[in-house]
Amino acid sequence: MSRKEDNKVLVIPCSGIGKAFGSVAREAMYMIVEELRPEETETVCLSLLTLGDEEAKDRVRSHPVITIDGCAQACAEENVKGVGGRSVANFRVVDTYREHRELKVKSVLHPGEAGRKLAHILARKVASQVDAVKAKEEMIDG
Amino acid sequence: MVDLPKKKVGIIACAGEEIPEGTISRVAARMVLEEVRPEDTVTLCLPLFLAGDERERAFARFYPTIAIDGCEKLCAKRATEKYSGPVSTYIVVDRLIQKRGLSSGQSRHELDEAGQRAAEVVAQEIVNQVERILGRERAVAAMPGVAATAPAGAGTACACASGIPMTQVKIGGQSVGLVALEPIFEQFYQEGRRDGPGLDEDLMKTVKLYNYVPPSAEERYKATLLEEYEKFCRRKGG
Repeated sequence: MSRKEDNKVLVIPCSGIGKAFGSVAREAMYMIVEELRPEETETVCLSLLTLGDEEAKDRVRSHPVITIDGCAQACAEENVKGVGGRSVANFRVVDTYREHRELKVKSVLHPGEAGRKLAHILARKVASQVDAVKAKEEMIDG
Repeated sequence: MVDLPKKKVGIIACAGEEIPEGTISRVAARMVLEEVRPEDTVTLCLPLFLAGDERERAFARFYPTIAIDGCEKLCAKRATEKYSGPVSTYIVVDRLIQKRGLSSGQSRHELDEAGQRAAEVVAQEIVNQVERILGRERAVAAMPGVAATAPAGAGTACACASGIPMTQVKIGGQSVGLVALEPIFEQFYQEGRRDGPGLDEDLMKTVKLYNYVPPSAEERYKATLLEEYEKFCRRKGG
């Protein structure tokens, strides 16, 4: 594995199935890992962490992790912390929504155009955080 | 007759982010929850088994539960059984769509045509299992767009934080949280059960549907259940 591959930032959303903001968190993650920062980021199945999968635990302990949560239960953040993951930042969809209350998410299954816009705004914020984490790591590496 | 919430079926999807089959599990579960069987189904976010509390972990003891897993790692099934209770059945997306000669498609983000078709097939299988669990063998119509019985999003139930009633009782000097105690008492009350032989056994049998009772503590539980039920009846007026 190359140094660059090894240093990828993990972006983990809650993917909450019970609330529309869970879909926004998941959508934002895919925008980051597939479109905005595909070389610098990847994801891990949160369900693997919940189950206690050893490989998944190793990954979150050895990589910087950014979580995105859909509600105050903060499942992504709590599950990463629970296994001693290297959590470097935690985002909540509701914080971005508070700044853009006009963007009403339609439903869990169909977030709609507004839901996608909200996800994109959030994804850009997370991408900036990814850049900051990478810059800091490069400084430390010299 | 009290409508004990056991009549709803719980659906737990792995929603695995790394593979298309995880997205299919999530989309199929939501199709059933939002569009096809909103009145019969309820869900919980899988990671809440860790991040939540005892009410969330009571989910599979309270609802007969179907786990929907994207791959053979069976995260939804295994995590549900590890933290909550045994599942009634489980569906493995990867296995099911191979069996049907279908493909998962190429995208884990937004399902393409093949992924969408796979999600519909998985949703159909979930509905079949819901019907079986609820004891209905009625014919299930073809899927989404055809079988929809409610508008999208209507009546969708998430069980987090408030869905499962929990009552604290003292058993052997220790505070114990019992799931569904109030609706169980209400059901017995409405059936006219006040006392008589076998009441403690019947209460115990029903309570055990939703709660783990250590075998060594069964007699203490029985005595406490009777005491609590008597109090319940007095509150109701006899």
